[in-house]
Amino acid sequence: MLPNRSRTSVLVFLLPPLLLYCAAVLFPILQSLFLSFFSWNGISDMEFVGLANYIRMITADDIFWRSFFNALLYLAICLVLQLGGALLVASLLTSLRRGRELIKTLYLLPAVISTVAIAFLFVRIYSIDPVGLLNQLLHWVGLGTFERAWLSDVNTVLAAVSAPEGWRFTGLYMLIIYAALIAVPKELEEAAVLDGASKWTLFTKIRFPYIRPVWITTTIMATTYGLRGFDIPYLMTNGGPGQSSELLTTYMYKTAFTSTDFGYASTISVFIVIECLVAVGLILFMLKRKAD
Amino acid sequence: MKKLFRAAAIAAAAALALTACGGGGSSSDPSNVSPTGEVKPREISWLLSRPADGAVINIMKKLADDYAKDHPGFALNLITTPDRPSYIQKLETLAAANKLPELFDTDATPFAQQLAKQGKMVDAEKLLKSLDIYDDYRPSALDYQRFDDGSLYMIPFQFELEFIWYNKALLEKAGVAVPKSLDDLPAMCTALRSAGITPIAIDGQDQWPLERYVAYQPFREAGPEFVQKLKQGEAKFTDPAGQKTVQWMAELGKAKCFQEGFSAQGYSDAQNQFTSGQAAMYNIGTWELPSLATDKLNPAVREDIDFFTLPTTKGSVTSANEFVSPSGIGMAVNTKTYDPLVSDFLKFALEKYPTEYAATGALSPTTNVQTALPGNATPLYKKALETANGLGAKQAMPWDTQLDPTTNGRLQQELVLLVQGNITPEQFTSTMDATIKQNAPKFFK
Repeated sequence: MLPNRSRTSVLVFLLPPLLLYCAAVLFPILQSLFLSFFSWNGISDMEFVGLANYIRMITADDIFWRSFFNALLYLAICLVLQLGGALLVASLLTSLRRGRELIKTLYLLPAVISTVAIAFLFVRIYSIDPVGLLNQLLHWVGLGTFERAWLSDVNTVLAAVSAPEGWRFTGLYMLIIYAALIAVPKELEEAAVLDGASKWTLFTKIRFPYIRPVWITTTIMATTYGLRGFDIPYLMTNGGPGQSSELLTTYMYKTAFTSTDFGYASTISVFIVIECLVAVGLILFMLKRKAD
Repeated sequence: MKKLFRAAAIAAAAALALTACGGGGSSSDPSNVSPTGEVKPREISWLLSRPADGAVINIMKKLADDYAKDHPGFALNLITTPDRPSYIQKLETLAAANKLPELFDTDATPFAQQLAKQGKMVDAEKLLKSLDIYDDYRPSALDYQRFDDGSLYMIPFQFELEFIWYNKALLEKAGVAVPKSLDDLPAMCTALRSAGITPIAIDGQDQWPLERYVAYQPFREAGPEFVQKLKQGEAKFTDPAGQKTVQWMAELGKAKCFQEGFSAQGYSDAQNQFTSGQAAMYNIGTWELPSLATDKLNPAVREDIDFFTLPTTKGSVTSANEFVSPSGIGMAVNTKTYDPLVSDFLKFALEKYPTEYAATGALSPTTNVQTALPGNATPLYKKALETANGLGAKQAMPWDTQLDPTTNGRLQQELVLLVQGNITPEQFTSTMDATIKQNAPKFFK
């Protein structure tokens, strides 16, 4: 327990960042909530429409629902690649004796490359005409029948735009999980090995439970980032072809800045905020319950 | 906590109310084109969507420098965003915040018409007449900038013709001739595909190039009025002219007219495919003359490149010499900041601009100057320029400047699906008619 005076000073120092947070995060959210009850194109007078935007969103907008389900699939692919990939690589790294730093750096590299560069890089990788890396590889290994225009095919485009996002952040989450894994007390592991635990048992009964708090944090981070994913799909396909790779975020952006329907775009953004809160709540609920 | 929440909510409401107030009309009069008073030099800005090293910007920079010599303290700040979709978003956001600069670029879109209705743009017809240069402009260059009611609020800086460029050797190889009718195109594509040639190279990423094609059949079938009625919900895709274009677009798709994976390919990809001799046709305007009709063009195809103008159809109500002839994105003048300085600078610049522009080898929006042929031009360059002399009275308007933004966005998306065969012509028709019905009334009330 801090003495009274230093507790006050801590509170005083906490106040500026709190105010900044309110101004930068809470205020815009409230502003969106307010705008969502209006119809406004930015230059004419604002018209109060009550819940009409919400009713339209839920009952009469096919693109909204399409974008919502696309966003869930996008999230699922990103999570598998980011968390699954990160856990796998981090676990393998712990059993590596040499070259750890090099591998860590190489995995982390995509996280520091600009999004625009990544988007252009992957557009080239997926290209069919001129033939890109992916189609070339398929051709070389004798899977020529799978060659396709990945970004123009309505069946493959969503996975194709999700992969770069997953690839990009695997290294970042790998670092976090790796840091947690090496903090697992060696004595615990050695005791388990003496008791005859297999590698799998060691992982599921000792290591993973030990890193669970870190795992929850990374899952929450990856999920909220995934739900807010925007730039790579927007740059690679602009939501197309049709609405095949439209996410809630890209749809919200277009509604606001292309259709100049600021009221309706705010309604969608309120939905995104709620969606993120629900997702975090669900993750905490599920992982905490397992821990108990 | 409750109190804090209430305070924040009130602050949010107040901020929005202020923004809304700021978005209101200006006190200046759009028809007052000759403001009186002293010319006080200052820096003025032009928000534009043109290539940074293009002729328009280079010339205007030079003219601004010349003007500054006699008016110390004057400067023209050119803020360019060549990428059109990003530019439009910037423009709309600035308009919403009531922060538009002295000069800004816009097409004759429904959004621009709303700005004009609110008195935020100076009446360009009156302005050009007051400067005594109105009659110098090509009527079609001005018409392209007009709103449906005939009012003019934008000044053109370019004049372009859109052609279908083709590779004679590839057509010959496939045993096909230049199409006599638009309806010949699908069969032509099939023949080219069987000869292993990509029929048409297209920039699918930017979406407007594919949207050009949807405008062609209705322009021939029902004239330029079709899109004006369609965008307001007075005409429909279920009408004969609408159905003709829907079926035709589907046929183009079935005949695999466009390169594989076109929707993810950009402007330079399409250009490269055509100039490297892989694709037989390429639909683009005279702004590409420097790369298609000079010695910069790949020598392997240089002798084989030619162009034809938009083919007609049986029973066409528009003539062969009427097609897409845009005068580029226009420049609007902000009423709020229009003063003796802006007026004086525009007079200076607009009088000198055509001569400088024509000297670069481009078609001027005015008729009082002669375009200079560049030294490295091929004979095709001259042929392209001369086509401008025989233009008819009607012009096909690009649909992306006509439809309300939501309908336009949906049309661009659905067209790709239609051409790729992911949806049927019936699905396309019903989706688009429903979209127009939902969105047009808000924009054209």
